[in-house]
Amino acid sequence: MKEITVAFLLNGKKTTVTSLPNRTLLDVLRTDLGLTGAKDACGGEGECGACTVIQNGKPVNSCMIFIGQVEGTQITTIEGMMEKGEYHPLQKSFVEAGAVQCGFCTPGAILTAKALLEENPHPTDQEIREGLSGNLCRCTGYNKMIDAIHLAEERGGDD
Amino acid sequence: MTDQFHTVGKSLTRKDAWDKTTGKALYTADIPVENVRVGYLVRSPHHYARILEIDKERSLEIPGVLAVLSSDDIPGAKEFGPLIPDQPSLAMDVVRHLGEPVVLIIAETKQAAEKAASQIRVVYDPLEPVFDPVQAARDDSTPLHESGNVITLLNICDGDIEKGFQEADHILEDTYTLPRIHPGYMELETSLAVWGEGQTVTVWVSSQHPFTDQGFIAAALDLPVENVRVKSGVIGGAFGGKEDSSLSILAALGAWAIKGAVRLVNNRRESFLAHPKRHPAQIHYKLGARKDGIFTALQTEVHMDTGAYASYGPAVAAILTETLAGSYRIPNVQVETSVVYTNSPLSGAMRGFGSPQSHFAVESMVDSMAQEIGMDPVQIRRANIIKVGEKMFTGVILNESASALPICLDNAREVIDRFQAIEVSPGKKAGVGMALAAQTMGLGANVPDDSSHRLEWAPDGKVLIHLGAPDLGQGLAMAVEQITAEALGLPYGQVESLPLDTLDRPNGNTTCASRMTYMAGNALIDASDKLIQDLLSRAGEILEVPANKLVYKEGQIIKEDGSSLPVVEFLGRLAEESITLTSESTFSFPYPEETTPQHLPIGMPHVLYCFGAQVARVEVDPDLGTVEVTHFAAIHDVGKVISRSGVEGQIEGGVATGLGYALYETMLKKDDQWVDSFTEYLLPTSKDLPNHYESIILEVPEASGPYGAKGIGEIPLVPTAPAVANAVNDAVGVRVTKLPITPERILGL
Repeated sequence: MKEITVAFLLNGKKTTVTSLPNRTLLDVLRTDLGLTGAKDACGGEGECGACTVIQNGKPVNSCMIFIGQVEGTQITTIEGMMEKGEYHPLQKSFVEAGAVQCGFCTPGAILTAKALLEENPHPTDQEIREGLSGNLCRCTGYNKMIDAIHLAEERGGDD
Repeated sequence: MTDQFHTVGKSLTRKDAWDKTTGKALYTADIPVENVRVGYLVRSPHHYARILEIDKERSLEIPGVLAVLSSDDIPGAKEFGPLIPDQPSLAMDVVRHLGEPVVLIIAETKQAAEKAASQIRVVYDPLEPVFDPVQAARDDSTPLHESGNVITLLNICDGDIEKGFQEADHILEDTYTLPRIHPGYMELETSLAVWGEGQTVTVWVSSQHPFTDQGFIAAALDLPVENVRVKSGVIGGAFGGKEDSSLSILAALGAWAIKGAVRLVNNRRESFLAHPKRHPAQIHYKLGARKDGIFTALQTEVHMDTGAYASYGPAVAAILTETLAGSYRIPNVQVETSVVYTNSPLSGAMRGFGSPQSHFAVESMVDSMAQEIGMDPVQIRRANIIKVGEKMFTGVILNESASALPICLDNAREVIDRFQAIEVSPGKKAGVGMALAAQTMGLGANVPDDSSHRLEWAPDGKVLIHLGAPDLGQGLAMAVEQITAEALGLPYGQVESLPLDTLDRPNGNTTCASRMTYMAGNALIDASDKLIQDLLSRAGEILEVPANKLVYKEGQIIKEDGSSLPVVEFLGRLAEESITLTSESTFSFPYPEETTPQHLPIGMPHVLYCFGAQVARVEVDPDLGTVEVTHFAAIHDVGKVISRSGVEGQIEGGVATGLGYALYETMLKKDDQWVDSFTEYLLPTSKDLPNHYESIILEVPEASGPYGAKGIGEIPLVPTAPAVANAVNDAVGVRVTKLPITPERILGL
């Protein structure tokens, strides 16, 4: 198998990686780029949402994307959420609403919420439940995540 | 009521939460180490088989492979186990369950390890497996271990069972069947081991009991305990399931073999097959009651399937058995519980530790009895709840905490009335159900249970908590920081707890059994007092006044004339003399002689209880058999709220797990394979949980608790499944006795 070179925009920065084509974006982020905020909780089967990143505005499971599919796209990971040293409103609201317990699902949930609020700035509870349903969490029962997303929404969380 | 507390009871933010929202928090899989090698396990493809031969030769020739290890290569103890050392780190002459580790490969890359795995030849002689614990318990069943298949047989009697049933006007019996479920933590089991100079190894773990890991690793590698340093990574949830040491031993073995660094991570399938689960159980339950609803007799027979290895099976059996009468006073009781080996994946600790199983039986049966007699479910419970000073069937005399029970019932009554008034959706049938719960705290009588923790007052004024037990993600750190800040009269921001490291840390014992805030909290209040005494005596020396003429208050030392000096000034002066103020304290779980009977096996009884009630409103589709939990209320006594957001989080998350147990989760075996992924194993998602949810938090002070607090870690999932089952019965008149409550079971298919 021959290695391929892939160029994409990662957290706003032009990034080029060389990798075997059978590797996933999650593996490359964690192993080659040292970005360990995206997690694997289901064994790379696209069932838990812990590895969620945003690709061209949509939340995706980075364990289900081969590195070649990233070519020319914009990827946002949890490491790219802070701006100029400031926490994103969703990061603040997750902390303040008590939506973070063990934290393993938190990066994926925040990125899903970010994409959700960009598409739908004022979601109902039901729309949030629908949007978050691909991000498994065992600790919180999701209530405080829903509170956190409303809190960020009130503060203009999609900026 | 005015609150005399300045920090305890408040909703504050967790200090560790910020790094968890940015990706900076390092879980054990994330910790960067140079030249770290990949550990990979070759696992058994059989449920039960003899190993005839392991041929590693060809695998060792694969480029990038550094070591291929089997049981023979382990220099020290080849087996481990928290209660019985019956579990091989790598299989010896037999494999007893699907997915059991047989060979450990250490390679430069995962790809090389996988290639090596395909080149290993293990010759098996398959044997006939047994999966039914009742069958495995029979005398003529093949023993899976030398000791036989029944590893625990508990038999407890109180009163006169025959007389009790003679006095009954109504006798009901049923068999309740509980599934095998995964604790469901998101962070998979992970360990990272780095070999060091002088025959030492440092091991990062995602574990509830790092000091136990340390002992197991030292025994396996035949090293002195002090040569093994165990550190806690950030832990991504545990729920009891991380009271297991399998990967930490194997990662350390790999590091020892290559004299380097090895990381070992289970995938979800491995986690399903080879990591402890909640015990499946069959509970035969027979209850007698008079026509006025008073219970007269209880007889049970329980078979628990602990799978291939004991893990915590015998201890889980203790709590399951002790809670078979739930929150009720029943004068004549005979209970028998057996824990049985089978060829199923092993079962062990999981949040609730036996009481979710017992409560499904007792709380379902109490509703059936109410229906049989024609009583209201709240009324029958009120007639039978155990009262302060009364004896449970184990002989335990309940303390003041039992006064929470009638308050729980009052709240449940109010919620039930409210939920019953809600209009039913078209085409659906609605029902409301409740359940009570009694959850034990502590490890049980005659099991050593000391918890030690240290405080350090750093020169910059910050108080560091050298916590002797890990925060599993539930928020232990925040709770003990609030307690310590309260005890020292300091702002929450000035107190910080440190992650666990066995190198220099007192042993706080396992974080489990609904008791770590209670244990650590008590120890840290005492350590705070000692720290203040030490501060005052040193300040007295410096100021040349007797220590008893000085008073400490909120970071200041106050002199007799009323003038005050900030503590940080003294800390600076002491630091110049290389003195750091520290104090350490140990809290031992209390088993008061007068209330703790001594006639039961070791680890029994448990003497301190938490109580709660839950109410569910469901809507059932009578054609499809589907259940939607539309409204839910959880009513829990916590003694005293330490961290309000933490308590709410524990309850909300616990209920979600309880609803998974009630409606979705089971590791059934199909076509000779276990359900082993989230494709078929349904963990509740945000869409599956009730839209209307409320927590009602009660505070009935526990005299022995820190500021009156007791545990909340386990009980929120204990009454959930029977509350849902009772609501389903109320809606459609079907009594489901097997979890999960699936449409097929409701429709009787």
